[in-house]
This record gives sequence, C-alpha cells and structure tokens, in this order.
Amino acid sequence: MTKTTPKGGLNRRTFLKTSLCASASLAALSIGTRGAFAAVDLSGREMVFASWGGSYQAAQETAYCNPFTKATGATVIQDGPMNGSKLRTMVEGGQPIWDVVDVTDTFLAANEELFEDLDFNIVDASPLDQAYVHAKGIGCIIWSYNIAFNTDVVGENAPQSWADVFDVEKFPGKRALRDRAYPMLEIALMADGVAPEDLYPLDVDRAFAKLDTIKDHVIWYTSNSAAQQLFVDGEVGTGVLLNGRTFDVNKKGAPVDLTWNQNIRSIDYLVIPKGAPNAEVAQHFMNATVDADNQALMANTLAYAPCNPAAFAGVEESVLPWLATTPENAEKGFLIDAEYWRDNLAALTERWTEWKLT
Amino acid sequence: MFQSERFWGGLRGVINVLLVIYMLAPLVVTLVISFSSALYLTFPPPGFSLQWYEKMFSNPTWTRALWTSLKILVPAAFIATICGTAAALALNRMTSRWALVIRGVLMAPLIIPVIITAAAIFGVFRIWGLYGTLHGLIIAHVILTLPFVLSTVSANLAVFDRRLEDAAMNCGATPWMTFRRVTLPLISPSVMSGMLFAMVISFDELIVSLFLSTPRVRPVTVQMWSNIKGDTDPTIAAIATVLFMFSLLALLMDGIARRRSGQAPGL
Amino acid sequence: MFLKNRNIWLLAPAVLLIGICFLFPVSWLLQRSVSEPVWGLQNYITIFSKTIYLGVLWNTVAIAGVTTLLCALIGFPVAYSMAHSSPWIRKVLIFSVLIPFWTSILVRSFAWLVILQRGGILNDFLAGIGLIAEPLDLVYNRFGVLLGMVQVLLPFMVFPLFSVITRIDGSYFSAATNLGATPIRAFFRVYLPLCLPGLATGAMLVFIISLGYFITPALLGGRGDIMIAQLIFERIDEFGDWPLASALAIVLLVGTGLLFVLVNALIKIRGRGI
Repeated sequence: MTKTTPKGGLNRRTFLKTSLCASASLAALSIGTRGAFAAVDLSGREMVFASWGGSYQAAQETAYCNPFTKATGATVIQDGPMNGSKLRTMVEGGQPIWDVVDVTDTFLAANEELFEDLDFNIVDASPLDQAYVHAKGIGCIIWSYNIAFNTDVVGENAPQSWADVFDVEKFPGKRALRDRAYPMLEIALMADGVAPEDLYPLDVDRAFAKLDTIKDHVIWYTSNSAAQQLFVDGEVGTGVLLNGRTFDVNKKGAPVDLTWNQNIRSIDYLVIPKGAPNAEVAQHFMNATVDADNQALMANTLAYAPCNPAAFAGVEESVLPWLATTPENAEKGFLIDAEYWRDNLAALTERWTEWKLT
Repeated sequence: MFQSERFWGGLRGVINVLLVIYMLAPLVVTLVISFSSALYLTFPPPGFSLQWYEKMFSNPTWTRALWTSLKILVPAAFIATICGTAAALALNRMTSRWALVIRGVLMAPLIIPVIITAAAIFGVFRIWGLYGTLHGLIIAHVILTLPFVLSTVSANLAVFDRRLEDAAMNCGATPWMTFRRVTLPLISPSVMSGMLFAMVISFDELIVSLFLSTPRVRPVTVQMWSNIKGDTDPTIAAIATVLFMFSLLALLMDGIARRRSGQAPGL
Repeated sequence: MFLKNRNIWLLAPAVLLIGICFLFPVSWLLQRSVSEPVWGLQNYITIFSKTIYLGVLWNTVAIAGVTTLLCALIGFPVAYSMAHSSPWIRKVLIFSVLIPFWTSILVRSFAWLVILQRGGILNDFLAGIGLIAEPLDLVYNRFGVLLGMVQVLLPFMVFPLFSVITRIDGSYFSAATNLGATPIRAFFRVYLPLCLPGLATGAMLVFIISLGYFITPALLGGRGDIMIAQLIFERIDEFGDWPLASALAIVLLVGTGLLFVLVNALIKIRGRGI
C-alpha cells in the first residue's frame, strides 16, 4: 500500500477539491481589492492575455485581469499556453492574436525585436524595483526552478542536489524534467559537479553528455500544470518544479516538497507583441499588474515574489519562506544568465530538439 | 463438427459483446461523468448533480464559445443548403461529361484530408483578412458542409420522377411555380436532412476552426481542444454531452422528417 | 437552351464558392511548396531525405496500415455476425457501429482519455480488483492511437464487408466442409476469397482516411506517434514554415489521390467480375 493508484487518486482528489475551494476564497478576496492604479474608461474594449495556463494563469486572472476589468470595463480574454515559437510566428506573420504575453526574462532577452516598446506615458512603472523594468516589458514575478520531490515516494532521504536527481540508483523510477534547453543545461552541469559561479558560458557538450545518462529515466514535461500532476500522483519521485507550483500543491495537501539547494532564479515579464491588435488596452493593463495590492495577491496565491517592493507588506507570514527572493533562499541559488541565453537560445533550442529526437 | 460450430458461435458472441462495449463505452462514460456529483473524474460517480452544466453555462469562456459556434453553424448550414440544393438540381439535369467533373470538384472537400483544406484556406484567408473573423469561419464551414447537402439531395433526385415536373410545365406553370409547388415539396425531406447534416458537421468541426479562429472568435470545439490538452476537467464531459445531444436531436428530426415523407431512414 | 442557362445560374454559387475558397487556396498551397525559398523541388527533397520527416511519413503509413489490419480483424467477425444473426442482434450491432459515427471525434478522444489515462477509469478498476499494482500506460502512446482510430474507422470496414457477406451463398461453405475440408481450411480456401472485394474496398477506405488523420493521434498519441497531418499543423501553427508544410500537404494530397483512383479502379473491376 505504499505507492498504489488508490492513494495517488486520493491525493489528486483532495488536490482538486482544495484547489476549487482556494479559487473560491481567492475570488472573494479580490472583491475587496480596489483598483488603486490610474484607471481609465475602456469599457467595450477587449484584449487577449496569454500565459502559462493552470493555477498560475488562474491566479493571474484573479490578481491582474479581474481588477483591471473592474477598474476600466475592458474585457480580458484568456488564452495560452504561451509557446515561444508560436509567438514568434504570429508576430513575424504580422497578425498576432495576443495582446499581453507572460514571458521569461530569458525569452525576452533573446527576442526583444518581437515586442512593442512600453509607453511610459501610460505605464507607471515607478513603484517597481527598477531592476525589473525593461524598455519592452515589466517584471511581474520572481520565481525559481527547484528540486522538488514527492515525500511519499522518496521517503526520508529526499534529494539534496541535482546530482541526486540524476542518480538513478539512489532514486529509481522516473523523474520529471522540463522539455527545454534552459534550465536543463544548467541543471545537467550542476549535476555533473560544476559550481553555479562557473556555469557560464555553458559547457554544452558536457551538459548533453550528462543528460544522456538519464535519458531513459525521464518524463519530459512542457506544461507546468502537467508537471504538478506528475508530482501529486507520485508518478515521479523527484525532478524540477517551480517554487510556486510546488507551494500550490503543497498548500493543497499533496505530499510534495522542495529544497532550495541549487535553485535557479528567474523573472517573468509581461510584454506586448509587435502589432498586437489591442496594444493600447494592453499598455493600460500593465498598470494593473504593477499595483502593490495585486502583486501581493499573486504572492499569497502562488508564492511568486513581487517586483513591487511595496507589495511585500501585504504578503502573508506563512508565504514568506516560499519566496525565491528571501536572503536565505536567494543565497542557495543564483539568477539565470539572461544575457547568455539571449545569444544562444536559438542555436541551443535547435540542438535540444535534435537531441530529443535521437 | 457440432463441437466446433458451437465453439465458433460462442467466440462470435464474445466478440460481439466486446465490440458493443468498445464502441459504446466512451460515450456512456462521458454521459455519466457529465452528471457526476464528484469534483474529480471518478467512475461510477457517487451521485447525481448538474454542477458541470451549471459551470459550463456560467463560465463566460464556454458560453461565448457556444454562442460563437451557433453564429457560425446557422448561416453556414443555411448557405450550404441553398448552394448545395441548387447545384444538385442543376447537375441532375445536366447530361454532358462536365457534370461529372463539376460534381467531383464540388465533392472534393469531402474526399481530400481536411488538414489540407484547412491549411490552404488559412493561408489564403490570412491574406484576405478573413482570418479570425466570423465571416471567414462561416465561408470555410460552407465549403466543408456543401458536399453533404449535395450528395443527400442528389441521392433523392436520382429517384425523383421528372415527369411530374414536365406535367406541371405542360399545364402552364412557370419554372418557378413548378419548383415551388412540385419539385421542392418532393425533395424537401432530403434538403432538410442535408441541412441538419450540415449543422452537425459545422458544430463538430475542429480542424479548420483550429486554424481560422482566434481567442476572440473561438467556436466550442476549439475551446474543448485547448482544454483537453491541459486538464481532463469534467466540464468538458458536459460540453461533450451537449455536442452529442445536438447530433442526436438532428438524427431524430431527420428520422421524423423521413418517416413523415414515407422514406427509408437514412444513416 | 433555356434549361442550360438555368443550370449555369443554379450551379454558379456553389462552383464560385468552391473555386475561390477551395480550389484557389489549394493551388496556392501547391505553388508555395515549389516557389519558396527559391523555385524548385527543394522542399520535397527535404521531406524525403531528412530522418525527422521520413520518420513521420513512416509513422503515418505504419499507423494507417496497422489500423487497417485491426479494422479487418475486428470488422470481419462483426460483419459476419450482422449477416447471420437474428434481426435483434443485427440491430444492436448496427447501432453500436454507427452511433459513434454520430459523435464528434473530439468527444470520443476525450472519453478515451478519461478511460485510459494513468489515473483513469480502467487503471483504477484494474488496481481496484488487484490485477495490477502499477498503473498501465494505455494512452499517449501507439496503443492509445490505434484504439482510438480503430473505433472511429470501423464502420468504413464493416459496411462494405457486410454488403458482400449478405450476398454470399452459405452452401459453398457447407459443401466444402461436407467434402471433408476442416472449417478453417474451408474458410481460407472458399469463404475468404468470396469476401475479398468487400475486404479490399473497406481496407482501402480505412487506409486512405487514416493517412490524413489528425485529432485522434494528436490527442491520444505521444511524441513518437506524430503523423503527417499533425506535422503540417505544427509546422504552420508553431513555426509558420509554409513552404515545407505546403509540400507535406501536397505529398499527402497526391498519396490520397493515387489511392483513391486505385480504389475506383478496383470497384470497377469488381463490378465487372460479379
């Protein structure tokens, strides 16, 4: 009775049940939040918001979109999941269907030409930590890739390093890893003994050689929601998962936990694709995401750290240890090198695809 | 020999039962789950509830998608029925070799894989500014459903007694009068069933809509598609049931129309 | 003369619509496949020389082939039962084979996911009765694709077979067994050859339709089960790679077209033979 389906099923059930309750209470919370940002009348207007789906996008809908709709009257249509090549195709084809997109700092750095300049006459980015303000986008959350594990599966001795995650003898069964060059190359190198400060520029050959050793023991995921399910169901014992997604299932009672060792920090930006049909509404939308109350709501829902320092005042005590930005968590990890990926993302993505196919 | 015949008969019985389960299980499971009181996908469900239908009709994403589907299927089926019936009448009277060629061309969207039609229409509609518009989706659905109307009406015309028309004309009726009073009443069951067929095809259509729709104009099948790829939420079972009931209703109406006109039931 | 004019007038809407919104787009696709990046056959050469595309072409043919085979294996006993059972059983069988025909493929694929996924009904059931300890991988792989596709395509096999079997005189079979042939031998030497025309038509139909299949493999398959239609979709939707996607579409079109001509010829020969 250690790892059978009825148990996994039970986990998923409680998971789903609590997630429904959580979203209900979240909705109740958001009614209390008043739009403190400069509101203009945009009633009758529409815009399309594309993000990464699942609990993250649901939280964004509650924290950003609903307050925005309330304050301005504009309708926000949800779409996704965000897909880098699809985004590039629609911008280059001249007919993007997304107005605001959530992208990683890595993707933004590598694809600046795809996005509209922000109009800082409309967007008031002054409340934000200026490190997270980009000419083409504004930071919304700071998050991290973590070593996560299902405590029912791995038992007492949880993995403590990426080397453990890559150790198929110590942790038999499958591990869940992200189907993407970043952060997998960094992770593979750390598993092979490279210290975080020596990672960049990446030794790509060495990384792929290390990945070769576990290729048959991996479930590759492309969606974070799917990854959550893999951990909750105990289909994988360990692997990589975002801190917020781990917080999400942990809070809902699933036996899933993480370690901050060797975490990789990253930032998500909200950007406007070039040629977006409702760019003007999109510019106004940014103000709803800068708002401290809204950012605090996001942090309390999914433990993603705000980019607006004022928002920390609204973050619950219990959530603080889950944030990637607290000094003790931050010093165990490092910030992903967006500059490196700006120059190498295209080539390494191609190599990644080829490697996956062989 | 008796022994072996009995064996083969038994084997056939087993195969038949397995087949019925295999063909019907997905449908039954979907119907049952859509009325489940559980918050998760479980079978059999612990109780009866309409919560997923409530969720579907209160979620703007789904109501918007259902509404979009209706706004596509009604005009598309209407146009396809008129064009298809007219073409069937004309082709029925043509005797030249061209009739065969034209019929082949009109039936082509039914024969060639939909993915090709979808890619081709998407490519051209993007240039013409029809991508992501209701008009574009309606036109594309007309293209896809017209062959069904054409073939249904043609099949009826093949057994239609032309002398009735001649008689009417000889009695001094104008061509339009003849059509209104003689031809149309006789072929109306097949026109009706062609239109129902067109509606069902349009409502269920996914591939072309996947290419042509945007989040702002998104029929229900495309919304289902993107949801199925993420989660298997029981709301989708409710939507699936609505789609199925729509087909069933069309089938039933078709049966009634045919029975009233004394024709054999169709597919 | 008057009738002729009226015909043209009646045909015009349908022909114009199909011409402008179907024939033109398809020829536009054909043109893009040979005109970009430069005029020539380079896109076709890519498809037939790169392992990725050859792999997908092979997948397509293999999945279509196995689907056809499975449809034949399941369809034969079913069609036989339909022809030789009491009217009541026949009705149930016809209903079972046809009702899924009336439900969208999307709905059916969703249902299969609910039944087959790791936390799904079948795995829960099997674990519940203690038959398995670990959930089985029944979907997102070749098995799932075949299960879904056979269910969708079975009617196209059953009905041609059914129409042939009802016309076969059962006494041939009894004659063979009375003369000492074992039932199995009698089946293969006497009965099966008589069913061959229906089997051939059904097989061709199933095979052709399978080649262009998209929804079922996309939803029930894994990364290793990508078929040509899904590749066309991804190439356009994700990468905007029109030249290559167009060439793939034309390959599929020509393949289907050739097989279709073959089926027509086959039906003609069969018609002459009987």
